[in-house]
Amino acid sequence: MSDKKHAAYICAGCGLGERLDIAALEAVAKKEGKMQIVRTHPFLCSEEGVAMIRADIESEGVTHAAICACSRRAKTEAFNFPTTAIARGNLREGVIWVRPDTEEARETTQEMAEDYVRMACAEVKAMTQPAGNPNTGMNKTLLVVGGGISGMTAALEASKAGYKVVLVEKTGSLGGWAARLHRRVPTREPFKSPEDTGVADMLAAIEADPNIKVYLNATIAKTSGAPGRFKVDIAVESGPTVTEDIGAIVQATGFTLYDAGKLPHLGYGKSPHVVDQAGLEALARAANGGPIKRADGKEVKSVVFVQCAGQRDASGEHLPYCSGHCCNTSIKQAIYFKDANPDVDAVVLYTDLRTPGNGEDFYRAAQNRGVIFSKGVVSEVVPAGDGLSVKFHDLILDDRNAQIEADLVVLATGMVPNSGVNIDSLTAPQVEGQEAPAEGEVKPVSILNLTYRQGPDIPQFKWGFTDSHFICFPYETRRTAIYAAGPVRRPMDIAQAIEDATGAAMKAIQAMENAGLGRAAHPRSGDLSFPTARLEGCTQCKRCTVECPFGAIDEDEKRYPVFNESRCRRCGTCMGACPVRVISFENYSVNTVGAQIKAVNIPDEFENKPRILILACENDAYPALDMAALNRNCYSAYVRAIPVRCLGSVNTIWITDALNSGYDGVMLMGCKHGEDYQCHFVKGSELGRYRMSKVYDTLKGMNLEPERVLDLEVAITDLHTLPRKIDDYVAKIQQIGPSPFKGF
Amino acid sequence: MTSVVATNQTILVVGGGIAGMTAALEAAETGKRVVLVEKNPWLGGRTAQLYRYFPKMCHPTCGLEINLRRLKANPNVQVLTLAEVTGISGQKGDYTVTVRLKPRYVNEKCTACGDCAQAVATEIPDAFNYGLGKVKAAYLPHSMAYPMRYVLDPAIIGTPEAEAARAACKYGAIDLDQKEEVVSLKAGAIIWATGWRPYDAAKITPYRYGEFPNVITNVEFERLADPHGPTGGRILRPSDGREAKNIAFIQCAGSRDENHLRHCSRFCCMGSLKQTHYVQEKYGDEGKSTIYYIDIRAIDRFEDFYAKVRANPNVTFIKSKVARISQDKDGNPVCWGVNTEGYKRYANTHDLVVLAVGMEPEVKGVDIPAEVMSDSSGFIMADPLNGAIFGAGCATNALDVNRAVQSATAAALRAVQVVNQIARAEA
Amino acid sequence: MSELNQQMAARYKNNFLKEIEEQAEMGEWVKMCMQCGVCSGSCPTHFHPGWEHPPQEIFMMIRAGKREEVLTSPSMWMCTSCYNCYVRCPRKLPITHIMHGIAEYAYRLGLAPKMQPTLHLSQTFWNNCIKTGRVNEVRLTQSLYFKDGFMAGIKKGLEMKDVALGLIKAKRLNILEALGFGHKCKDVQGIHRMLAKARELEAKRKGAKAQAA
Repeated sequence: MSDKKHAAYICAGCGLGERLDIAALEAVAKKEGKMQIVRTHPFLCSEEGVAMIRADIESEGVTHAAICACSRRAKTEAFNFPTTAIARGNLREGVIWVRPDTEEARETTQEMAEDYVRMACAEVKAMTQPAGNPNTGMNKTLLVVGGGISGMTAALEASKAGYKVVLVEKTGSLGGWAARLHRRVPTREPFKSPEDTGVADMLAAIEADPNIKVYLNATIAKTSGAPGRFKVDIAVESGPTVTEDIGAIVQATGFTLYDAGKLPHLGYGKSPHVVDQAGLEALARAANGGPIKRADGKEVKSVVFVQCAGQRDASGEHLPYCSGHCCNTSIKQAIYFKDANPDVDAVVLYTDLRTPGNGEDFYRAAQNRGVIFSKGVVSEVVPAGDGLSVKFHDLILDDRNAQIEADLVVLATGMVPNSGVNIDSLTAPQVEGQEAPAEGEVKPVSILNLTYRQGPDIPQFKWGFTDSHFICFPYETRRTAIYAAGPVRRPMDIAQAIEDATGAAMKAIQAMENAGLGRAAHPRSGDLSFPTARLEGCTQCKRCTVECPFGAIDEDEKRYPVFNESRCRRCGTCMGACPVRVISFENYSVNTVGAQIKAVNIPDEFENKPRILILACENDAYPALDMAALNRNCYSAYVRAIPVRCLGSVNTIWITDALNSGYDGVMLMGCKHGEDYQCHFVKGSELGRYRMSKVYDTLKGMNLEPERVLDLEVAITDLHTLPRKIDDYVAKIQQIGPSPFKGF
Repeated sequence: MTSVVATNQTILVVGGGIAGMTAALEAAETGKRVVLVEKNPWLGGRTAQLYRYFPKMCHPTCGLEINLRRLKANPNVQVLTLAEVTGISGQKGDYTVTVRLKPRYVNEKCTACGDCAQAVATEIPDAFNYGLGKVKAAYLPHSMAYPMRYVLDPAIIGTPEAEAARAACKYGAIDLDQKEEVVSLKAGAIIWATGWRPYDAAKITPYRYGEFPNVITNVEFERLADPHGPTGGRILRPSDGREAKNIAFIQCAGSRDENHLRHCSRFCCMGSLKQTHYVQEKYGDEGKSTIYYIDIRAIDRFEDFYAKVRANPNVTFIKSKVARISQDKDGNPVCWGVNTEGYKRYANTHDLVVLAVGMEPEVKGVDIPAEVMSDSSGFIMADPLNGAIFGAGCATNALDVNRAVQSATAAALRAVQVVNQIARAEA
Repeated sequence: MSELNQQMAARYKNNFLKEIEEQAEMGEWVKMCMQCGVCSGSCPTHFHPGWEHPPQEIFMMIRAGKREEVLTSPSMWMCTSCYNCYVRCPRKLPITHIMHGIAEYAYRLGLAPKMQPTLHLSQTFWNNCIKTGRVNEVRLTQSLYFKDGFMAGIKKGLEMKDVALGLIKAKRLNILEALGFGHKCKDVQGIHRMLAKARELEAKRKGAKAQAA
């Protein structure tokens, strides 16, 4: 403890000097904040100001600094002292920019500023600057699960960057779906003709690549460990199980074509001349550029493609989504026919033709070859004579009884992801022995067989796809260093799968590199702090292991939590969950926030100055408050805002402590949860809110009105509405009256 | 003089939109040294100018906040704003690049306090809001601008106003002597992520954009709906400031059209579907949207988003490319055309028409100062001939944000492969 | 049914699109339409009172094999050649020309509606014009006015008499043309030989095209 030295730096620039009594702030830092060094500078972020702080660090041995100036989001380059614990007292965006510059506001504004100085001093004293733990796992071999186009791409691209790869494929050969195609949709100018699938070239490249080790007829029997130190058991058919040391994982397990057998109304199963797109590829491969023949050997003279077969289905019976590639695929297949024999009649029946980007050129190229496109909804495909009759509603001519005869009908069915076990459905209460599967139902087989407390596979998003829910961060799965690529993630074509797999390999490489350095992955990338638990105080309640959105915490045989640091994203949900408060980060803990709450000066009930605590998510709500300030949108001087990593990290003790010590109200500002959740820690705000719902019982126990805690959903754009909401809440609290706990 | 630290193991990223930022950050967080060059005085690109994203209806500034935090925390990235690449020489693994830096007239001492703006009266069109509003000639480009520094517009340089701005700054942050400079730097690989520009709607003459004030573009509509925008988030029509409650969205304004853009721009269908939510959000059942379309391209898992909009009784879909727009005596735009599903003629009066203009690659018509292959629409096409110049995001294809980020992440790996190779060779 | 019509119907059986591609001028463009409808909406005639089938619908009908309906339709004859559709078509289809091509083909097959005004005018104009190489305006007007009967012709004539008198006064109309006088080409025989040669060339070209099919 003796080697700690605390200092506070107060800025008088940006109007702070004019609006605030800086000398009083200094006194607060010294007397109440107990700072050993307190300095004021007229322009703290200037070269001289920064040099002053640096000199104190270097020659005075300052280890902890409370910088009372602007928001922690501003001037980050200037106030960057990597070895020093830093707390920021937000006097500019948090105080003077949100307060009117009037004589009557002066007193409360000053009180607000003094509190933020107290809070910064209290926070910094409770902090330790994290040094990071570099011994978390140094393995840098990438595991790729699935040997289709996506998997092969990820393997080759990672190898090109200098990384070793283990590629596991469950069948006897690499190539996946692409190997079953005759040709692929063009990926290059002029986008007019189907092109070679590229599979042979990739196979040759993998064969020749000493960095890539391939296991065929193999599946993953077990994955344990964490990023940088995974141990993966690979079960090889007719051979012993092999264990590989792995740093990160790309799951590229692809898709299965939707079962056309579920579409009897479209003739599948009723006539051998109704095929799905895979069936047509097989016929085209057999023809090898010559006229395409049906199963019975007859040359096809007319073919109809039925788009969206069992897709975009609103009835709930089939796939609700669009598989994206099928319009281009049908165009490609129609071109197979036209290129072999221009006299074949090829008709594509669609409702919306979806050929984005240069697909438009491919569409035109097919039209130019005489492929006919009709906007219509197919109601039925029935055998007629030697061929088939397709009945449809022609939407352009508004003809409900349109009909085309064809030798062959191709159904464009969709992609069903091979994503393993839906672990979220496993979390529903299960009673052993009661889960007799419904007749004929196939239980999904796990792909990764993770030994994680929270289930064997990556959580799924929608309809079985393991996609990210974030638009800006499409690779973020909920399992650190395990990335999905290709159609298992989202329906996609080959060109996109190649791009996607390359990106996934990038993320996996990055995850391995950072795991080795003890750095967190997205969204707190680079964060060196990590949670530690005082296990002697742990009651084995398992809340932390259950709630961790990233499956970072396992349980040992005595049901104590086992933290896997490199899986952790540093959101603090475990810390918020812990009822006995034994989990903390070096620089973010029950204490760092608790000390700030306690530091605030609570006026007595006669002063009529309520105190309201704001716990604001640092990702959205806190920036919204900052931007409100930047636009000089004022709000009440009775609130004190503390940024939190996530609403999920909010421990209820903070709220009960605040209310017990005389705060009149607490506002929780977190991101949207539910289906379109905004929380960057996925479940954080939802879990936090669930926890808060229990606070109301506590309030009842304390004889306090439920309004004293307000849970507010805040978006980053709420810069105009948020100040109003704060003021409304303050008014309401004033109406309710002061907390009876004041003065105790 | 700006100093840039770079070697042939440095990755140069051109363009600071979401693709460029992503590429830069993914590489930097893998331990690579990156120089990020952006021609605007701020980072974030066109996504920062969107109100919400489809299909989640979340705010792009939320992701921008995370990306900026990543950037602020990462010493591996050097950002150059107001910067444009003017020359590239050398080859894969060994490029020399010249970058022209325009003066900002504000240095790093700026605290964004805003005193300079108080001292200046001249107003210029607000570029961040596509010129829909005005800003002072000393301005912070937007609330999340990074670097968080003011900019002095060249329009007032050399005038007493510039001097007044300098006098108003207590921190010596205004430097009127800044000159345009050219810096030269080394790079092993280059990621070209210069994004897209909205197709010039004035070229679609029957729609009378630029002539009828109540015919606007989809990117402008984003600014109207955004609380950060010129109307504070109220959908007001430009002609008379009246609330626009009956809004037409015209798809393929420029896209899928051999007279304009021959490709499909992919994002505009979802963009307009999203924008009908804005109308609903602001006006409830009083807000009416009409989408004129050829094909609704709500690709892959966006289908349910489309289905929900379809189910909204306040949104009408008309399968038709609008033939022309006229204007009635009250300044209301009237859309003329034929609903092709059954040949139903219409002449529909709306409060406001939003043209869903397509994406034109920013590289089109602008020379990349190096040999780079492009397709017939002007998008960069991957090719071995490009050496270690890799396209990313909308410079390579018409992409939505999600796919642009994927593309940028992939581009980052391609660049990392090159610099790793050099590192191995030099080790 | 004309002989040519029967011949063509038999040759192309159920592939009307192919028939149009090969037989109608510019017919090969029909397949490129993507049904956006901008042509239909751009047509100045479509609001008063409109065609039965606008271009984009005609194209779809061709693809759907609605041969009889298309070829007997008066729609193609409504085109005023304003070229709005042509310049706006996102696929750059020469729609104006395609419509004329289809109309001409329908006429050739003898399927064009008999008393359709545009068709009637074209036919009358042509017949009138090729006689002397110059239009006999009085006779042309007469045959147009009297197409729906004698009384209708008289009525129309009286309606237009002020215009006619004005034209005569300005020497823009020679009343003697009614008797067969008036201007004509110097070498009427030459004109007729030229037209005969053009017909021969056209027939040869179409024959070759049909042969190739």
